[in-house]
Formats: sequence, structure tokens, C-alpha cells
Amino acid sequence: MNDAQLQEEYRRRHAAVLAPLAASLEAFVKDIVAKVPRVDRVSARAKAPDRFVAKARKKQDDGTDKYSEPLLQIQDLVGVRIVVYYSRDVEPMRVKVESHFRAIELKAHCRESEWEFGYEGRHMILATPSDVTGGFAAGDVPEFFELQIKTLFQHAWSEAEHDLGYKTQKKLEKADRRCLAFAAAQAWGADREFDELVERLTESRA
Amino acid sequence: MPTIPVHSFLVHPGKNDEEAPTVSSATVREGRVHEMMRDLFGRAEQDCDVPIIFRRDHDGQQQNPCRDLVIAYAENPSLHTARHLAKRLQAFSTHRSGIGLLFLMKDMHGTKHKVLLSRFPADSGVLATEHGAELSVDFVERVFMKNAKAYKCAVYAHESTTAGFWKGAAVDRQISGYHELSEYWIGEFLASDLSTTAATGTARLAKAMVVAARSTPDSAVRSELVTAVQMLANQTGRRSGRSYLQRIGLSDAAHREVEYAIGRGTLLDEPFAIDREALADQIPFKAVELDNGAVMIADTERFPEVFRKERLDDERVRYITEGHVVNEIIRKHQ
Repeated sequence: MNDAQLQEEYRRRHAAVLAPLAASLEAFVKDIVAKVPRVDRVSARAKAPDRFVAKARKKQDDGTDKYSEPLLQIQDLVGVRIVVYYSRDVEPMRVKVESHFRAIELKAHCRESEWEFGYEGRHMILATPSDVTGGFAAGDVPEFFELQIKTLFQHAWSEAEHDLGYKTQKKLEKADRRCLAFAAAQAWGADREFDELVERLTESRA
Repeated sequence: MPTIPVHSFLVHPGKNDEEAPTVSSATVREGRVHEMMRDLFGRAEQDCDVPIIFRRDHDGQQQNPCRDLVIAYAENPSLHTARHLAKRLQAFSTHRSGIGLLFLMKDMHGTKHKVLLSRFPADSGVLATEHGAELSVDFVERVFMKNAKAYKCAVYAHESTTAGFWKGAAVDRQISGYHELSEYWIGEFLASDLSTTAATGTARLAKAMVVAARSTPDSAVRSELVTAVQMLANQTGRRSGRSYLQRIGLSDAAHREVEYAIGRGTLLDEPFAIDREALADQIPFKAVELDNGAVMIADTERFPEVFRKERLDDERVRYITEGHVVNEIIRKHQ
């Protein structure tokens, strides 16, 4: 398929399946975590058509297409995000999610070097449950979706960074990237401080 | 049109053996065995009623050793690629699972690559041969039959061998010990789990039963469902929702209400284990049982209002309730 055909096919699926599926998944996940404490929000989205085509046409380092079958290979056509209050809430939420969904991938995104700061979050690729697939043409329903678990601070940083990257036409200079890393470090620090506070206050009340 | 070969292997147990026995092999291209396997291949989607999914690896990567072998076979079906699967099965086969005959086939099913793996256990039998009016009978070992209670099968079909082949379906009929033999084929050899987790399956079924209880105009069915949903906690094994409802003796009327509440009947066909925590989350009914045999059940929020509780001197309690009798049931539960 050329770009126009791919985008047209994706737009069709987006309207017919992906957008309503995202809404169903959001409600499904909200129900699962309804009794879990310190959940700020659960949200879901279907990947926008222009973003899909951009991702579908990504190249590898050798110049070849990264995706030979993008409609099948791209696994975050539908994404769900769970934002929790504190770092200590992330792992219990991961356990809760994996008790309800089958995960084929689990990644903790963070910088490898201890001297760097940037995007952080827990990403999972989960099998789409049959509870939400009814009423859609089977061939159009993605087998998997992405679920992210982030803290409030991780979410705030990533949303702001994403907005900057999306809206600005300028390429980020070294000083700009340093500012982003500094902000990420502050988010990491805020998470750590709140975690310690929670632990101290919980102990003192025990 | 060339015939699709059936790759077959005699798999001796080899778990924990330093030197596992040789896995002998044959490629079958014609004859009754080939016809039988073509038939199984064609009916696999009907026979294989247990949706399964390959597990991720321990590091969280999208990698599964059995999936890799199935894909290698799908992309290049041969005795060589199939043998890796046979050796893998041997590595998980114990003397309890015994000798098995493993068959593999790959063909295109429309635009999908379709792979079938099937295992027949070894059995013994008697061969009767007629010579005119004379009959000779011989004991035969290593008879491999498609015994409905012990035959194992798995089928995978997808347009893509790079993106697909995560999900499949298995048939898993057991003579006894559902969990153990199921774990050998699905959990160990296929490195897979049931597609429906215990928590999701339990929540789905319990929610449907509660919704049905609240919406049915039939008070007898309501009572039945309120009791039945709590009986799920005692269910063992891994079964479909439909099977659980049958085991707890649900009436046809109550079963219909649950099927209506769940929306899609196929959701009742997916097997799962009962997760008691997920069940407790869904049950809005409180039940109190006394040592005199009395059982009181009411909506959790209204329980104190429906049953007034009095504490007696010797740590015993008295529950008091009053109203008009709308239904009285005498039932035997399985």
C-alpha cells in the first residue's frame, strides 16, 4: 500500500473500530482498578491517523522500512494510560493489570545511565480481551494494545515534553535538552520525596 | 497440486534425562494417516476450543521459545524445523505422560499461515485378523489412537509470521487430573497460558450472574442466582463459564438470564480458573451461616436492615427478619 492507501485504510479502521474500542477499553480498565487506591486517572486513545502513518513509514538505520506490515506489527494502535499518585503504586498496579490481562511485553522505560534523566514509565503490550471486542469485524480488531503506568510527575513531564516536541518547529539545542533533563530529574526527585513522605507518615500512623 | 506433508515423530519421555532417546521421524504424504491428519487440520478450529497465548519471557521481552519454533516451522515446514518442536516436547515428557506420536502440518488457510500440532498417546490394543473362518488375535503395543480423552492438539493461524502467532487454540481432553496434564501440554511444551486470566473470567461470570439476579422479574431465579454466585468460590480446575454454571446446578431459566446478561454467548465458552479475590469484588451479597444450619443472604448494603442482629449472653447471636414469603425453594446442589 502507498501512504494514501494506508492512511485511508487506517482512517476507516480508526472510525469503525479503534476509537470505539479505546472507549470500551477505558471503561473496562476503570472497572478493574475502581477499588485500587491512589489512582489519578485512566484514559485511552486510538492513535491518530497522521501519527500512525508517520510511525508506519519509519526507517531503520540501514534505510529499510521498519515495518513491513504496519497494520499488524504496530501494537499501540490503541493505548491506555493509568496515572497513579506515587512510585510505590506503580508495581502493585502492574501486578493488578497482569492479573487481568495477558502481557506479551513489559518494559520499564528509564535512562540507562545513572547520570541521565528523561522519560520514565512502565509500558506493557497486552492482549485485547474478548470482553471488549464484540460487535467489531474480527480482522479490524487489533490483537494487542499498549498500557502505560505512570506517576503524576512522570505523566506531567511526558505530556509537557510531548507538547513541546509536537508543536515546535525548531530542533532542540543541547541547552534545551539539558533543560528537559533537568525537569525530568525534578520529576524523579518529586516522586522520591513523596514516596518517602508517604512511608514516614504511614509508619507514624501505624 | 503437491500434497501437504505431515511431519511425524515418535517422542519418548526425556525430561531431566541427560541423554534423551532418539526421536525417530517420518514424512507422510499419502495414505490413511495423511487423510486423517488432513481431516484434523480442516476441523482444528472446531476441535480446539481452548484459546491460549504464548507467554512473554522473564525479562519482559516479546520472546517465547516455543513460538519461535512454531514460526520457524510455519515459514519453512520441513522435518528439520519440525524436529526442534519434537525435541522440545521430549524435554517436557515424563514417564507419566509416556510415549507420544507427534504430528505437525502447515498449510495456507486463505491468506493465513496455519500450523497444526497434535499428539497421540501410546496405548496397547488387540489386533484381530481373519483368515477365512479362522481368527488370530495379537496383543499390540504402541497403538496410537485419537482418544477423545487424551488427544492433544494446538492450532495457530495468522496472516503474519512476524507479527502474529501469539494466539492459538488448543484441545486438552484429560482422562484425569485436568491441571497436571493440561500443564504439560499448554503450560510447559507450548509455554502458554489460557487467554482468559482467572481474574477476568471470574469477574466476567460473577458480574453477569449479579446483573441477572438484579434484573430478573422471577424471584425464584433471583434466589437461585444469589446462592449460585457464592458457590463459585468452591469450584476448582479450569473450566468455561458454561461448565461452572452446569456444575453448580443452575436451572435452564437462570442459565438463560446469565447468558442474556453477559451479552455474548461465546464469552461463556472461554475456560479460566476461579479467582476468589476477583469473585469477592463482584459479589454484592452478604451471607451469614449459623451453626444451627441457618443461612441468611441479602444485598450487602441492606443486610443490617434486612436482618436485625441481637447478641445473646453466651456469644450466640439471634437474627430477626420479617416480610411476606414470595418464594420457597428446596433444591439439591451438585
